[in-house]
Amino acid sequence: MSYKTWFVALNVALVGAFAWAYARDYNAQWKTYQRNYYNMAADALQKQSDAASNPDDKAKLHKEAVAMRETPLEIKQIITKDLGRVDRCTTCHVGMDEYVNPTMTNDFTQNPYKSHPDVAAMNGNHNFQKYGCTVCHLGQGLATTVKDAHGFVHNWEQPLLQGKMVEASCARCHQDFEHLKGAEVAAEGKKLFYEHGCQGCHSIKGVGGVVSVDLGDIADKPLERIAGYNFSRILVDGQPGHYLPESQWTVVNWILGHLTNDPMNVIPNDPLAKFNKEPVAPTGMPNFTEPDATGKRELSVDDAHAIATWLMSQTDEPIPYQYIVFQKPAPEPHFTSAVAHGKFVFEKYGCAGCHGLHGTKGRRNFNALGPGQVNPETDMDKGREPTLVDVVGTFTHDELVAKISNGVPASAISRFNPNGPVTPLYMPAWKDKIKPNELNDLATYLLSIAKQQNVGF
Amino acid sequence: MPTLDAEKLKKEIVDSQIWRSIFRGGIWKDTPRDRAAHIVGNVWLHLHPVRVRKRALDWTYSWGLGGISFVLFLILTITGVLLMFYYRPTIGYAYRDIKDLAFAVTLGKLMRNMHRWSAQAMVVAVIAHMARVFYTGGYKKPREFNWGVGVLLLTLTLFLSFTGYLLPWDQLAMWAVTVGTNMAGATPFLGNEGPFGAAMGMHINNDVRFVLLGGTMVGENTLLRFYVLHCVAVPLIVGILLILHFWRVRKDSFSAAPYQAGEEKVEVWPNLIKREYVAMAACLLFIMVWSILMNAPLEAIANPNVTPNPSKAPWYFVGLQELLVYFDPWIAGVLLPGLIIVGLMAIPYVDNNPKGIGTYAWKDRKFANAIFTLGLAMWFILIFIGYACRGPNFFWYWPWESWLTPKAAPPLTWNLFGPDPKWKLFQTPNLSAFPLWIGIPVMLGGFLSWLVLPKLLQKELNGKKLQAAFIGVMLLFITGLKLGLHVPFGSGLWLLFFGYLAFYFGFILPQRYIRSMDWARYLVTMVFVIATMGVLLKMSARLAFNIKYVLTIPTVSLNI
Repeated sequence: MSYKTWFVALNVALVGAFAWAYARDYNAQWKTYQRNYYNMAADALQKQSDAASNPDDKAKLHKEAVAMRETPLEIKQIITKDLGRVDRCTTCHVGMDEYVNPTMTNDFTQNPYKSHPDVAAMNGNHNFQKYGCTVCHLGQGLATTVKDAHGFVHNWEQPLLQGKMVEASCARCHQDFEHLKGAEVAAEGKKLFYEHGCQGCHSIKGVGGVVSVDLGDIADKPLERIAGYNFSRILVDGQPGHYLPESQWTVVNWILGHLTNDPMNVIPNDPLAKFNKEPVAPTGMPNFTEPDATGKRELSVDDAHAIATWLMSQTDEPIPYQYIVFQKPAPEPHFTSAVAHGKFVFEKYGCAGCHGLHGTKGRRNFNALGPGQVNPETDMDKGREPTLVDVVGTFTHDELVAKISNGVPASAISRFNPNGPVTPLYMPAWKDKIKPNELNDLATYLLSIAKQQNVGF
Repeated sequence: MPTLDAEKLKKEIVDSQIWRSIFRGGIWKDTPRDRAAHIVGNVWLHLHPVRVRKRALDWTYSWGLGGISFVLFLILTITGVLLMFYYRPTIGYAYRDIKDLAFAVTLGKLMRNMHRWSAQAMVVAVIAHMARVFYTGGYKKPREFNWGVGVLLLTLTLFLSFTGYLLPWDQLAMWAVTVGTNMAGATPFLGNEGPFGAAMGMHINNDVRFVLLGGTMVGENTLLRFYVLHCVAVPLIVGILLILHFWRVRKDSFSAAPYQAGEEKVEVWPNLIKREYVAMAACLLFIMVWSILMNAPLEAIANPNVTPNPSKAPWYFVGLQELLVYFDPWIAGVLLPGLIIVGLMAIPYVDNNPKGIGTYAWKDRKFANAIFTLGLAMWFILIFIGYACRGPNFFWYWPWESWLTPKAAPPLTWNLFGPDPKWKLFQTPNLSAFPLWIGIPVMLGGFLSWLVLPKLLQKELNGKKLQAAFIGVMLLFITGLKLGLHVPFGSGLWLLFFGYLAFYFGFILPQRYIRSMDWARYLVTMVFVIATMGVLLKMSARLAFNIKYVLTIPTVSLNI
């Protein structure tokens, strides 16, 4: 080719490339949605105009319909001053933009066109222009494409809270959410969390056990802190073969991975010291998919979602105080009988987390002693925490109080396989957490449930 | 009816006072005089000569690499200025502004992509330009100084790219810059972790790293500093050096075609200008299409509390990061890069071979080409290893292996010479095998004899016999290690491979080609050659025998 041909061809190609780039920029995804919305809204107005009997109304509605159809396209954004967010969600969800749709209601049923559900209460109490969208729904407010905005992308760690999971956001500000209409799932989650003794190991903002991590900021957990090979082992709702796709590696699914899967399968670590110098036990988190006394899973998939919903309200993100609905914590109930008070104490401190509901079934403690252990390599997972109804009968009241007060460090727990890892679970020393009168009544309660005929383990 | 006379109209326009005040010269007549005036009378083109020897126009000589580097610099300047309209260098806004560029600014994504990809392309183009100039002997007398300016420009190109890396304020930015600037903390004397740093009174809050960061960790001040360096300070220096570089290219005359008596010359306009235009347009087109098809990377917002695993430096520094596996930070991050820069600048002054200017003269410049090619190959192989073969915990993962498979930690390491010896080879992890009073004389003696031996052996040795002998001795040595100390053959083969490279490039070639050089040039050359071979030997010591340090003197933090 001659230089003249090159010259012409390259210049044409450059102009073409620029046009291509500009066309891609110009034909942004959001414009389709916004244009569709204006057309749909204009059609609805036109229909009203056609049906109107008064000629003045007819003309006025027709004019409105034309104006609606011809509305210029633009990126819309809500800048929330107090909350420090910029939300461009209404660029596509035009029905929720109060300038385009002052009534904030419409008859559309499809996203992104439909109006906000329960808008009277929601917009009434949380003016969208002041609160924006992502403060409740999460997602990437700055983004203007569906995938990026909903946030299931590599570089955004807070994707949309889907379905009922959004109730987590109610609990972020409403300290009284347990009595709030529309936050029932979050309230159920909190109830289940404390019923099943999660707080025995996991404190919430410093209140609770010390065996595992504090969950008071679990919703902010950086995904970088979670090993990819652990994420890749999670089964969706625990269904065999349904591995979690990488686009769904989120904090919500990390929590669900612990509650709908056997956590030991998700975080097996290195109990045989294949990769490390010293063996590392799998996670100590119990398997809540095991059947309880009634034969059902201890936590159903719905239960797990409820707990995850509540946990997603646990964030360290600063919320301006004017946005918080304060409530004093409820006072503790009074008990007349020591046994009833002891039972309350047992539940309050999450003893069920390790010793099972009502102390009836010691949970798995890797490489502790347990029934049916033969093979030192494969039977370490049969190790158990003490089943209280079976063992407390061997203690006197004072011995029991001393045992709970001082705890049993992991180093003092007999290992089934002496070359295996230290057990992940242990009895913390509770003397600084459980008050003396509580401790007394707890021991009384435990002795009251001990099986007399079955001594020892 | 008036008729339109195009020629007359054109003449009137060109001869008008306005036109003539802007453009010098009258109507274009395409005479040699006009073509010369087009170059001389134009501020943008006047650095070109009016006429140039025909051989200099050959595409396959220069590949247009210098020009392409400059075009990329121009693209970077223009897109960079456009980006500055949207970008605020503060922690609160930086990342958000990048998101705005991606989602809300018209053509913002294109601008950022073009800026990012041009920066990467410029690093490649500048390195390629340097290699081309080397292989065609373009640095030889009288162009030694301009080669030095070029090396500075290469360094500044890398620094520009590095300072720009921080600005998006994402995890990639923060941790790549953390890795990079931590090396500065290991500078001897000036860094708080470097040798003799403590003796100089260096702390974490007064050393050279602190100056670079404006704090003890990458933060708001660092962002501002890097922004000013990236957008103002360094481009200014680069601009000044570019003017110097171009001026000297012109004044030292074009290296491609050293003067031959009575040689024909052709006019620069249009012969050279049209080539330059085509190269520029093709380069711009390439960057634009690349930027349309591929988005610049952006990770989650920077978080000083969460370190990605692995954290990697920008790709062009990943080779140095890979060296961190084998060397202490002050060697990998300060000494070796410094030696590379000084060594490159020294090349024109130690290479006094007059042959091979303006041609790819492989036969006439065997030694220079061999050593330079080895260095270039090492640089890119190290980059490949660091970029593609290092996974979580910086463990070795082949490119086809998933990072989701956990790997065992590498075996424990030990030192060859150091305090507290145990006199046991290959059996005592974390300890030294031999004491320092053996180690220091052995290392010094080895270095000095290696330094002078090739020159002292005045008769050229038979390379084939020497290589065969070396391999034979090494095979015996490996077999001895296998039988006597149960060292696996695989380790022995590593030693053979690296040892052979060092022997061939570090002894046979110098003995054959540079033994007749004067002592000063010879010694300078050998120091750089031995330093290069030292890197290879240290790598083999680690890969084959898990040796952490060949020699360690903890009291002065000197570890080799």
